[in-house]
Amino acid sequence: MVKLRARCLFVGDAAVGKSSLCHTFYSDGSLFQKNYSLTTGVELLMKCINIPETNDSVELYILDSAGKETLVESCEKMWGQPSLLCLVFDLTNEKSFANCSYWMERVHGHCKGLQIPGVLLGNKSDLSARREVQSSVAKEWAQSHGLEYHETSAKERDNCDAPLLSLAQAFHSLYQERREAIQNLSPD
Amino acid sequence: MIDSPGAQIVLASSSDENHPPGNITDGNIKTFWMTTGMFPQEFIFRFAETTNISAVTVDSYNVKHLKIEKNTSPSAAQFEPVVEKELERTEGHLQSNIISLNGSSATHLRFIITEGYDHFIAVHRVSVKN
Ligand SMILES: Nc1nc2c(ncn2[C@@H]2O[C@H](COP(=O)(O)OP(=O)(O)OP(=O)(O)O)[C@@H](O)[C@H]2O)c(=O)[nH]1
Ligand SMILES: [Mg+2]
Repeated sequence: MVKLRARCLFVGDAAVGKSSLCHTFYSDGSLFQKNYSLTTGVELLMKCINIPETNDSVELYILDSAGKETLVESCEKMWGQPSLLCLVFDLTNEKSFANCSYWMERVHGHCKGLQIPGVLLGNKSDLSARREVQSSVAKEWAQSHGLEYHETSAKERDNCDAPLLSLAQAFHSLYQERREAIQNLSPD
Repeated sequence: MIDSPGAQIVLASSSDENHPPGNITDGNIKTFWMTTGMFPQEFIFRFAETTNISAVTVDSYNVKHLKIEKNTSPSAAQFEPVVEKELERTEGHLQSNIISLNGSSATHLRFIITEGYDHFIAVHRVSVKN
């Protein structure tokens, strides 16, 4: 049995739905917040994910960071060294997708050269009539940046658990890989 | 050199059942303690009695920055800094570093890994030289 711990950073433009997604991770029956209340700092949430078919789990320290431009700099100070990345954009807002490159760059500045597993989330999939970003385009961009692509709706609670499970599994695989490599090292 | 005379580990921040912190003091370089994600990570050594330590040898993998603190109290609290060291990266073999403690007397030594070259690091052995 292994309990892993990962710092999972949620970033993306303001109002794309990061906080709404984070709230869906708690199935406490709380209602979807229709009114936008902007995050001004970094909110910490914990979520433990069991890895299927093992006794192992990953404890995620989720950092829900403010997207508003003028707040980002002060938030960055609290990012620390992330282990996992969740980059979110709004499917009905082309600009939030275009800004993903900028977010990737910011995050990489904190990774100290480490590769971190990540997902790209196209959120608000329920607003299909207002969609501005095509799945194929987003998917291609994600792949070229080593991210796994998911579409979610925090409002409908649609597909919201899959990305976290996928991140936890990626971290778990990385651990097993590294452990095996260390087991096979020759002393000195 | 004696392998960690009468030393035991009283705390470690991270544990995989199969790679427990006891692997650091078992004298066997093949077994290791592995951290399970995030930094900092730490482990604390306790000696049977206050001991003068000239150096420690740390065999590890992917440790980037190591801080060592000590105290001379019977409880594992109120540490004072002794030394900090940036370790070189190795590929395919262990890092082996002799770190001088200049004869510091200690009942506890606290090893804090503040940074790694990877998400997970391993410590195979710590030997103490009196
Ligand atoms: N229709 C729809 N609206 C959503 C969805 N997710 C979030 N919203 C709405 O979008 C607005 C912004 O959501 P937040 O979760 O606060 O956005 P955020 O990314 O945390 O924003 P910042 O904290 O400013 O960075 C709110 O009004 C939500 O109700 C979704 O999946 N579908
Ligand atoms: Mg928010």
